[in-house]
Formats: sequence, structure tokens, C-alpha cells
Amino acid sequence: MQHSNKYILIYSIVMVVIVAVSLTIVAVQLKPAQDENIRIEKMQNILSSVNIPIAEIPKKEISALYDKYITSAVAVNVKGEEVITDATQVFKIEVVNELKKPDDQQSLPVFIARLDNGDTAYVLPLRGKGLWGPIWGYISLKSDFNTIYGAMFDHKGETPGLGAEIGQQWFIEPFKGKTIFDQNGKFTSIQIIKGGAADDNPHGVDAISGGTITSKGVEKMIFDNLGSYQAFIQTHKNH
Amino acid sequence: MENLFNLFVRSIFIDNMIFAYFLGMCSFLAVSKTVKTSVGLGIAVTFVLLVTAPVNWLVDTYLLKPGALVWLSQDFADLDLSYLSFMIFIAVIAAIVQLVEMVVEKFSPSLYNALGIFLPLIAVNCAILGVALFVQEREYHSIAEVTVYAGGSGIGWLLAIASLAAIREKITYSNIPKPLRGLGISFIITGLMAIAFMSFMGIKI
Amino acid sequence: MSEKLTKVEKEPMFSSKILKLLKNPFNLENPITVQVLGICSALAVTVQMKPAIVMALSVTIVTAFSNLIISSLRNTIPSRIRIIVQLVVVAALVIIVDQVLKAFVYDVSKKLSVFVGLIITNCILMGRLEAYAMGNKPWPSFVDGIGNGLGYGMILVIVAFFREVLGSGKILGMKIIPQFLYDSGYMDNGLMILPPMALITIGIIIWVQRSKTPELQEK
Repeated sequence: MQHSNKYILIYSIVMVVIVAVSLTIVAVQLKPAQDENIRIEKMQNILSSVNIPIAEIPKKEISALYDKYITSAVAVNVKGEEVITDATQVFKIEVVNELKKPDDQQSLPVFIARLDNGDTAYVLPLRGKGLWGPIWGYISLKSDFNTIYGAMFDHKGETPGLGAEIGQQWFIEPFKGKTIFDQNGKFTSIQIIKGGAADDNPHGVDAISGGTITSKGVEKMIFDNLGSYQAFIQTHKNH
Repeated sequence: MENLFNLFVRSIFIDNMIFAYFLGMCSFLAVSKTVKTSVGLGIAVTFVLLVTAPVNWLVDTYLLKPGALVWLSQDFADLDLSYLSFMIFIAVIAAIVQLVEMVVEKFSPSLYNALGIFLPLIAVNCAILGVALFVQEREYHSIAEVTVYAGGSGIGWLLAIASLAAIREKITYSNIPKPLRGLGISFIITGLMAIAFMSFMGIKI
Repeated sequence: MSEKLTKVEKEPMFSSKILKLLKNPFNLENPITVQVLGICSALAVTVQMKPAIVMALSVTIVTAFSNLIISSLRNTIPSRIRIIVQLVVVAALVIIVDQVLKAFVYDVSKKLSVFVGLIITNCILMGRLEAYAMGNKPWPSFVDGIGNGLGYGMILVIVAFFREVLGSGKILGMKIIPQFLYDSGYMDNGLMILPPMALITIGIIIWVQRSKTPELQEK
């Protein structure tokens, strides 16, 4: 069937308008639900890093649970000074965007958790690169700012069964109780050791066999990100 | 530099569009019966990738991403058009393929004769859209990275389709169980080749 | 007998021809194993059952509705921009599906990542639009879309089933291989999780199917 150019032009314009309008309506309608999902996921991640078993908790209750445990949050700059103290503002900070800025303009979040036994834990966000794409997570330090209390990692597209294991409990479990400073107070971070870490190594955990690059990515992520918090950690550690 | 080279090698061998993600399988199975046509299609795919991936990256970075329109005005800082990305990407690809076809036809009839028949097929080749979406998802930072990744993916695709075609040319002489002939054995060969390619996994330069 | 007749008269929507449209894609005209369409985008999501099922449903919905829309418009679409019109309709539907997944099954949509977007270039869509919807009435086209989407989904789910059971000993995330087997030395086959095994599994499915229906065999 032959159609005139005018017909084709009008046809395409009408089509584009209809499609654009309907897509925008759908996107705008669903946006709140999507944002809510992202918000809940972030809360789940933070809670998971302070060893709250989030898998057993229905999504509806996450928000209340978050308010119960995470009592406050601050954002710190590279010198360790608190630049934002409003917890809702801090929650909204996107670490990805902060890390793109020059060092002295970053404000990085610290979430402060009040644990069931009355202790305090400090949750720091992590962001790094795995084998295929971004990896991220949260790590929580005990109030001595040295011992790791808990952690969680996630990834976008690591190989299932290999790199993707960083999200699994068996990988995360050994991090607990490790320290990030040696006896002399020197920053050592955490080493992820291929072939398995010695039982008495206070800074080492097992790597994933077959997932070496992702494991190394986690190691570098922890080193880099904790590095950005150096000043903050040092000031509080000596208190 | 080192990083780019690493990315290049990885996108050819490890991150191979066909063996790791099955992208572009349709044309892969339909065309890869003779080496000559496969190489032609492979070159056309690489070429189109090299043009479309950077363009799509620019579109994504400066138009679609959350806050991408800041260069126009600060008012747009909260605007997020990324939900339109599928539509825009496929439109850009279709338009560029059309454009490439016309340009090639006008300026190099011999190249057109060689590649022309493949170009329309390419607009709906998953590998092309796949690269655009992977670039968006993996958050590549510079146009150099994107171009290198696109080039590597294209060459990897070419390598895969040409080697499968070579095997299929030979395999016509083999005595394969009847129900497995044709499509079945092609899948299995591709799978075995993918396993072979996995030995590159550990490489990190 | 008479009851059957009245039923058919009452529901001409499900004539035998229509039922055939629904049934054929499962075997004789299976989009993957016979028509060789749409292998591209979805095999990578067959590591586990859950994403495979969601993917299968998404593809079915998109094929059915794009067939329906294009078929109702088929007499008005200018032939010169036919492909573009089809792409726009498909892309719009895929965007909607993606947005809905993100809003309601967020964790699955994270797993599917770019592969939802790749439904657009899934050859099943364009293939069915060109081969069927452009020349048939809306209702049969809709059914054709559902049939092909489900036929396609069936293969995905079968592949995912074998990969999940053999690769991680689970079905839909639940352990089904009993512990005593592990204790006596059984191990999950890690190879099943890796991409190549999806291809080989499909190869084997084709083998089985063609042994049963010899008319599909290639010379």
C-alpha cells in the first residue's frame, strides 16, 4: 500500500505523541513505588551490615526496624569533620555521586546504629568495581573503630556461583571480628586471600575460588572506601 | 591506556557477546553457514557498533541519565529520563543503520555490495542494543572506554561467528545422529566453544 | 454431542484454528527449537527458575500485545516506515513492562537487568509481527502472540529447571537435593551455572524433540 509523504509524516507524529504521553504517564505513576523499593533496599542493606537477619523480615516492617536501630547519621568530609547532621539528608546521599567529586568536596555518610546489647556500631558505605561492573556494600565497625561488626556486599552482574558469591553469608561471615588496624595502629584494611586465610590472621578472609577478580575488587573497595574515612576514623578511635 | 587495553582484550575473549551473553544468536545461527558471509556480517556488526555505541553513550550521558540535563539549566537537575532509554537507543540504532546504509551506498558501491544485505538485519541484532545497554549499566566513564568496548565486542562477535561457520562447513561431512543435525549440533558446538573461551577467564592484563 | 456443538457456537473465539495457534508453538512451531527465533536475549536469565519465569511472562505479554496492536493498525501503517512503527510499539511495551517490574518485583528486575530491554530486539517479536500480525485479524494475532510467547517461555523454564537443579540443587530457591546425598559425596555441578551449558541444554532439548517428531529433522 502506498501512502503520501504527508500521511507518513502525520502518522509518525501522532504515533510519537501517543507513545510519549502514555510512557510518561506510566513512568510518573510507577515512580513512587520504584523509589520506595530503592529506599527499602538501602535500609535492608544497612540493617544487614549490622547483622539483622533481613531475609526473615517482611518488607513492610523494614522501615520501622530501620528507625529502631539506626538512631542517627552524619556525613563527614575528608578531614573527618561532620558536615551534615540531619539523618534524612544523609540517607539521601548517593555515594556514587560523591565519589566522583574531588576528595575535598565529598561528604560521605556514616550511619550510627544502636544495637540490642546497647553497643554502638558505625556503618560505612562501600563502592567499587568487580569483574563485570560495579559492586557495593556496607561495612559496620564496632565503637573501637577497629573491629568489623558486620558487612554486606552486592553486585550488578558478577558471575553466578563465582563472583556473585560475595553476596552470600559464607563469604561475609569471616569478616566479622577482623580488625582493620594492626597492633601498632597502622591501617591494614582487610586482605582477601586466595587459597584461604590462616585462622589466626586478624586481617585476612578467604577469597572465592574462581572469583578471584571479584574478590580482589572487594578488597580494593574496602581499602579505598575506608581510606576516605581515615580522618574520621582516626579522630574517633583515639577518643 | 593499560586499562583500555585490558578492556579491549576482555570484551573480545571473556565478555564475548555470543559466548557469555548469547547476544546476536539469531543472525549467528541463521547466517553462519559459510565463512564468507559470516565475516561480512561480522564486519558490518563491528562497524555499526563502533558508530552506535558512542552515540548512544553521549545521548545517555547528556540527555537521559538522572541529572544529565544540568548542562542546559540547573532546573533540570532532578529530571530523570532514563525510562526512555530503550526507546531512544533503538531509535538511534535504527536511524544510524539507515544512515550508514545510505552513505555506504553512495560513496562505496563495492562495500555496499559486500555489506549492504546485512545492514537491515543489524538494526534488530541483539548484540548492538546489548552493547548500548551494557555500557549504560556498567557505568563506563569516557567515550574512549565506550569505543574500545564496542570495538572489542564487535571483533569478539566476528571471531565467534566466523569460527562457528568454519566448523559448520566441515561438519557437513560428519555422520551426526539425524535428530541432532543442523540446529541441534550448532547449539552444542557453540556451547563447547564457549567452554573453550572460558579458559581466558583468568586473564587480567 | 449437542452440548459440544452449542459450546462451539457460543464461543467462536476458541475455534479449532485458534486453538492450533495456541498449541503449535509448543511443539511443531516452537519459536526457539524450530523457528530459531529469539534465542538472543533470554538464555542468560536461565540460571534460576524465578527470573526465567518472569522473563517468559514478560515476553508473552509483549508478544501478545504488540501482535494485537500492530494487527489492529495493520491497514493504516505506511509500508515505508513499517519496521520503525513496529519497533516503537515494541519498545513502548517493553518500557512499560520494565517499569512495572521495577515497581512490583524489584529483586527479580535487578536480576534480569539489561535483558528486559533486550526483549525489544528479541527476534520472536519482529518475526511474529512480520509473519503473522501484519496479515491477520487482531484476535488470532493476539492468540498467536500468546502461543509463541508461551512456547518460548516453556523452553526457558525447562532450561532453567535443569540448570537450577543440577547447578545448585534447588528449585525456585528451595533445596530439593536431600542432604544425605551431599554427605555421601554428591556435589552440585558448577558447570551448569555457567553460560555454555544453556546452549548445550538447548541442543539436547532439540535432540529429544526431533527424535520424537522426525518430520522436523534436517537432512
